[in-house]
Amino acid sequence: MAIINQATKELQVKIVYYGSAMCGKTTNLVQVHDHVQSAAGNKGKLVSLATSSDRTLFFDFLPIEAMSIKGFKTKFQLYTVPGQVIYNTTRQLVLRGVDGIVFVADSQYEKMAENVESFQNLEDNLQALKLRLADIPYVLQYNKRDLANVAPVEYLEFVLNNRDVQVPSFTSVAHKCEGVFETLNMITRMLLHKYIAQNAPQSA
Amino acid sequence: MANLPQLIEEDILRLNEALRKLLEKSEAATALIIDKGGFLITHQGDSEQFDVTTIAALSSGSYLANQTLANLVHETSFNSVYQQGENLSMFVVNVNEECLLVVIFKAQVGIGTVKYFATESLERIAAQLKAAQERNPGAALDLSALNLANTAELFRRKT
Repeated sequence: MAIINQATKELQVKIVYYGSAMCGKTTNLVQVHDHVQSAAGNKGKLVSLATSSDRTLFFDFLPIEAMSIKGFKTKFQLYTVPGQVIYNTTRQLVLRGVDGIVFVADSQYEKMAENVESFQNLEDNLQALKLRLADIPYVLQYNKRDLANVAPVEYLEFVLNNRDVQVPSFTSVAHKCEGVFETLNMITRMLLHKYIAQNAPQSA
Repeated sequence: MANLPQLIEEDILRLNEALRKLLEKSEAATALIIDKGGFLITHQGDSEQFDVTTIAALSSGSYLANQTLANLVHETSFNSVYQQGENLSMFVVNVNEECLLVVIFKAQVGIGTVKYFATESLERIAAQLKAAQERNPGAALDLSALNLANTAELFRRKT
């Protein structure tokens, strides 16, 4: 869970981008890194532990600080997981201490089975960490909307967002930075509201 | 998984004191307390030359990867990770279920020295974290100062 340091008025939150191989998780982080407006010194370096073929091997890591939260210094740590099925152990490690999740789905029809499998894998891995998806704020991002063979949003919603509680979803073209900030702002907002709701003053 | 305690000023002061003593005795350069999720809790020593936020994230990843390796060779755990460099070395050691201690030290300072003095620090750090946990077992977060008037624009794209 998030780290709160009352001494320095600092809040640290961990957001993990999850999804199948090559769906655009790292691209999201690269775009945030390249395009985020930042006051001096509050954008960290993007660290990428990738193979020579640009596949994420362990994780990508980007620390950033939100601009418009007063009173608390709010540091967001964005992580991606490796999408390839064989790297499940590393995915579990990265999920440790997660506060919020962005599930990135590849919108192409032929990737639908992989999306579903990855979502199931996310739930399994959370369970292994004794966490429940229902307790963790998450959003869906339907990426690669610029490609020709994409499924309609309604179809993606039916396949991936068909639970008791529907979560916010966004369409995106991550490599053009479309939808990237909308997704990030929504998960951030959900996270902060969760903490505020948890800590609302109890009436006597 | 137990939640991390909410840390108040007293906790941070005591944790920092434990780290400072470790640095004095072992002549290490920098010491960090991090949680296993990759967050930096506090640090002491020369942090100017290091990106401590990223070091925290990677150290916890590296430590946890080693725990998985331990399981693969039928060990319950590898309690620490030691990386030896030409000029600087690093030692990451388990504090409790949630936290790790990271020590960066000159390579000529032996790992034995760091390990020896770290043992004492580990106890103090663990005790302080336990005290914080017991003080506030619900780990309630006081975010009253947080201003959420403008959440739609937490992160803005450069125009």
